[in-house]
Amino acid sequence: MAVIEVNGLRKSYGELTVLDGVSFSVEEGEIFGILGPNGTGKTTTVECVEGLRQPDEGSISVLGLDPAKDGRRLRERIGVQLQHTQLPENIKVWEALDLYASFYAQPRDWRELMAEWGLDEKRDARFGKLSGGQKQRLFIALALVGNPRVAFLDELTTGLDPQARRTTWELIKRVRASGMTVVLVSHFMDEVEELCDRVAVFDRGRVVALDTPAGLIDGIDAEHRMSFTLMDGEPAGLADLPGVTGVSRTGDRVVVSGRADFATAVTAHLARHHVLVSDLRIDKRTLDDAFIALTGRSFGTKE
Amino acid sequence: MTKLTFVELKLLTREPGAIFALLIPLFILVVFGSSIEPGDTVLVPMALAIAVGLVGLYMLPTTLATYRERGILRRLSATPVRPVRMLVVQLILQLVLAVAACGLLLGVAGGVLRAHLPSRWPLVALVFLLGAGSLFAIGLLIAALAPNGRSANGIGVLLYFPMAFLAGLMQPTHQMPDILVRVGEYTPLGAFRQSLQDIWAGSPADPLPLLVMAGYALVVSMIAARFFRWE
Repeated sequence: MAVIEVNGLRKSYGELTVLDGVSFSVEEGEIFGILGPNGTGKTTTVECVEGLRQPDEGSISVLGLDPAKDGRRLRERIGVQLQHTQLPENIKVWEALDLYASFYAQPRDWRELMAEWGLDEKRDARFGKLSGGQKQRLFIALALVGNPRVAFLDELTTGLDPQARRTTWELIKRVRASGMTVVLVSHFMDEVEELCDRVAVFDRGRVVALDTPAGLIDGIDAEHRMSFTLMDGEPAGLADLPGVTGVSRTGDRVVVSGRADFATAVTAHLARHHVLVSDLRIDKRTLDDAFIALTGRSFGTKE
Repeated sequence: MTKLTFVELKLLTREPGAIFALLIPLFILVVFGSSIEPGDTVLVPMALAIAVGLVGLYMLPTTLATYRERGILRRLSATPVRPVRMLVVQLILQLVLAVAACGLLLGVAGGVLRAHLPSRWPLVALVFLLGAGSLFAIGLLIAALAPNGRSANGIGVLLYFPMAFLAGLMQPTHQMPDILVRVGEYTPLGAFRQSLQDIWAGSPADPLPLLVMAGYALVVSMIAARFFRWE
């Protein structure tokens, strides 16, 4: 069942078109990724879905509600973590959770959430004294305290160190395990690849692809390379294998380039002809490659 | 709403600015009050005007502009609670702060310094409400126009000193040029001090400063509402 349906969203600010016909749907219980560089309309789209902004054109349905008309009822059922929002410096962790719980008709027990998100020790710490990772965990806990059916998390791990990112990812996986639908806005390929069931790739205000991360990667037809060092035997006939587009050799080092699943064909061929190799390397294709193939430009993950 | 008020109240007590708003006018009252004759009608009204001015022109705009700058109002609009509640809670709490500051001043003035206090309390309350209304309206306008908390604070300072000077809070009005005294009567802080001083002196309430304050409260708060941004 689709929890969110978005059809033909358009929005422009004066001359600047931010959304140029965005459509997608999110299924119940999945982690749905919205991926793209900054300034491609991701956040605007999500804010329209949350009812914080109005699109110029297009329709949105979230849990059967129209965000523009039933905003209040909708906000009872969704949880939101926004980019660039803070809490008052002097509010304590427990006070923030207790306060936000009081905004909802049927909140979760905030003490339980505080423990789940590893904030027990920081219960009486003031917001201003928390580390980046602790703040982020508090924001996510606040997004979940209303016991929402859908959680929107915008730029979940921006500014976190690698350790804190990993921890956050593990917690998000637990959220999915509880059956909640999660919409994750991100400009990090690795994050989306790790967490999302399906991804909508945004570019210039449009959805240019929508698939599973693996599907997006497999869908690209870019050439990539594998290389190995010969130990024993002669690798003949590699150039004739399906998908292989080129073979070059420098001393014992062989580089094979090709498309699609050529690497499997090459390793099978080597095995069949009893060619022993070492130091085998295959350039792994990533979402980055998929993005370049889809949009014709590199991603540029810098803020 | 109750919880929001309670939490915001706790946050206010953790705010150093709130302590200053209580202590600065008290300090002025005590320093000057120790060497003043018992029938004085100038000092206590001055201290009261300083206190309400500090809350209205510093505390209120800085708090609201900071909340907007930090996205706190915006985050609220993503919950079932409307962010206008935060505005209402802040107005109530800052008013409570102003009342507390004035109560402290009156208590010390009457109890410790044995200064003259008026007996027409309903009139005092009315003048207080009008004065707070006009000064809070200006605070709201600053909050509406300032891009962030720091600039709201800066604008508050920039407005406070000339207004306090014109209002006769820096020096008694009889030592000031006539023209400045005239101008001062048409500022909210000046009208507030004048009305209080009339009450302290036991003279009948002059309607002009009351109207000046009511006018500022109405017109300026309407302009502030027109320009207020939630994000």
